[in-house]
Amino acid sequence: MDRRMNQRAIWAIARKDIQAITANFQVWLPMLIIPILLGVVMPTVAVLVLAYAIDLSNPSEDVVTLLNWLEKIPSGGLKATLESYPIVNQRLIYLVANYMISSFFLIVPLMTASVVSADSFAGEKERGTLETLLFAPVDMLSLFVGKVLASLIPAVGLSLATFLLAAVTMNAAGWPLFHSLFFPNINWLPMILLVIPMISLLTILFNLFVSARVATFQAAYQMGGMVILPVLLLIGGQATGVIFLDTVVVTVIGLVLAVINLVVLQQVLKRLDRNLLFASQIK
Amino acid sequence: MNDNMIELSHVSKSFQNRSVLRDLTYSVRRGEILGFLGPNGSGKTTTIRLMNGVIRPDGGEIRIGGFDPIHDGDQIRRISGILTESAGFYQNMTGLQNLRFFADLYGVQDLKRPAELLEEFGLADAATKKVGTYSTGMKKRLGLAKALLHDPDILFLDEPTNGLDPEGIRMVLQQIAELNRRRGTTIILCSHLLQQLEVVCQRYVFLLGGAVIEEGTLAALEAKYNPTITLEVETDLTLAGGQYRGLPARRVDAGRLSFQLHSRDEVPAFLRALAQDANLYSASQVNQDLESLYFQIREAVKNG
Repeated sequence: MDRRMNQRAIWAIARKDIQAITANFQVWLPMLIIPILLGVVMPTVAVLVLAYAIDLSNPSEDVVTLLNWLEKIPSGGLKATLESYPIVNQRLIYLVANYMISSFFLIVPLMTASVVSADSFAGEKERGTLETLLFAPVDMLSLFVGKVLASLIPAVGLSLATFLLAAVTMNAAGWPLFHSLFFPNINWLPMILLVIPMISLLTILFNLFVSARVATFQAAYQMGGMVILPVLLLIGGQATGVIFLDTVVVTVIGLVLAVINLVVLQQVLKRLDRNLLFASQIK
Repeated sequence: MNDNMIELSHVSKSFQNRSVLRDLTYSVRRGEILGFLGPNGSGKTTTIRLMNGVIRPDGGEIRIGGFDPIHDGDQIRRISGILTESAGFYQNMTGLQNLRFFADLYGVQDLKRPAELLEEFGLADAATKKVGTYSTGMKKRLGLAKALLHDPDILFLDEPTNGLDPEGIRMVLQQIAELNRRRGTTIILCSHLLQQLEVVCQRYVFLLGGAVIEEGTLAALEAKYNPTITLEVETDLTLAGGQYRGLPARRVDAGRLSFQLHSRDEVPAFLRALAQDANLYSASQVNQDLESLYFQIREAVKNG
């Protein structure tokens, strides 16, 4: 990119948008509920159930599915790691915590990125401030980058916080059984470093593009919701055993997302147009 | 070097086949305060947007400070300050936060500037209050402060006195005149009210249906279109039949009458005559408001 960006303006825009979220608890409180439920409470309850509440001598249908899954793991690193745990409950917990949960966990950055970015341009339009913004000597690229950061930082930040909190509660819940840390394994490294930032960015790019075109937050949010479909496919795929999210698969997904982002970014940057954006906010 | 800060020639613009500007041509000299006048919907706001490069003209040429808004919009926006009709502030941020944000966007180096401007516009006490709690007048003043953050060479003011009380109007107009005198700022003042503006504007451009129908100084325009003079007189004269000595007259209130004279030259003789017929306490010439002057210009354009 040869165009010089206006760093001061970029950070001013990002800071303003992030402060608008943090300053109003009616905005951020609902944003915390899903991450905490999906990212912390649900996995911790899963660990507790698998550790202390299942009857392996007379397993229920769900537990049988999990046990079958455990059986089908091909020999290799993961199999060896699992076999290093003497108790079956430990193996089940290790498998669920480090593999099954990851696709659910993706909903956290997705949700946060959606909510924040759908409001991005659409919110400015609704409040009549986009006009003032476009009258300022800020090039479209800087404006756009500021808006991307304003959504990316909360999405990745909240995902990271949820992840850390989940690590603490899950390990605590499993401690009497393990007496060591079982979460996270190496699988989460590409997840945290690659997949979560990339899926956040994709959601944001998509939302910003839509949000720049439609007039209201509502419309932007509904359109943006479509990004969740691939993740639901992933969850379904994993639940039925079609996809197994090991380190390689996670890394590949992350790289594919990165490539898609690059293509989308190029397209969006080509279409950045002050006049179009201005015209879209005239009531 | 060209002495015109702003030049528009044969500019046209339409939205969805509805023509908003047709063949708009006018210029503003460096350091001039221009009154850009016309009824709502005449194309004033569209012209401001075109000059700032946020929308594109369909035809014609625009030069602002030598720059073309289509290609060098950011250059123009860097030297321009703008007060839009809605002002467009973040309601959940304080006045100071808003100004600091825009200081970042406009690249203002002096970090004390936002606070100084709040002080200057009588908003120091409200600096830490959310803009959502501001009155219309306070928002206008904040808008003017925002427009001046980066010490612009050109100032675009869209209805700057709308919604202000008389004190606010006086203050805003004073600031505008002062700025122009001190820094030689070129100012375009859009309004549909003339009365308040004649204190500051040096020249006027009248817009109707997206084209300039007349331009000039107030004196020149009044001389051309408005030979009659309205004189408001405090007197105990009793009026009969809406006329006095053959001149149209009407009662304003219990102690005051208003007369229509053909020219300024008639005033002395008229007052002498009136003083003989009744007690005369005071007399003042009432300024034409835009509507009547505008109406006359429109009539003239239609008939011409």
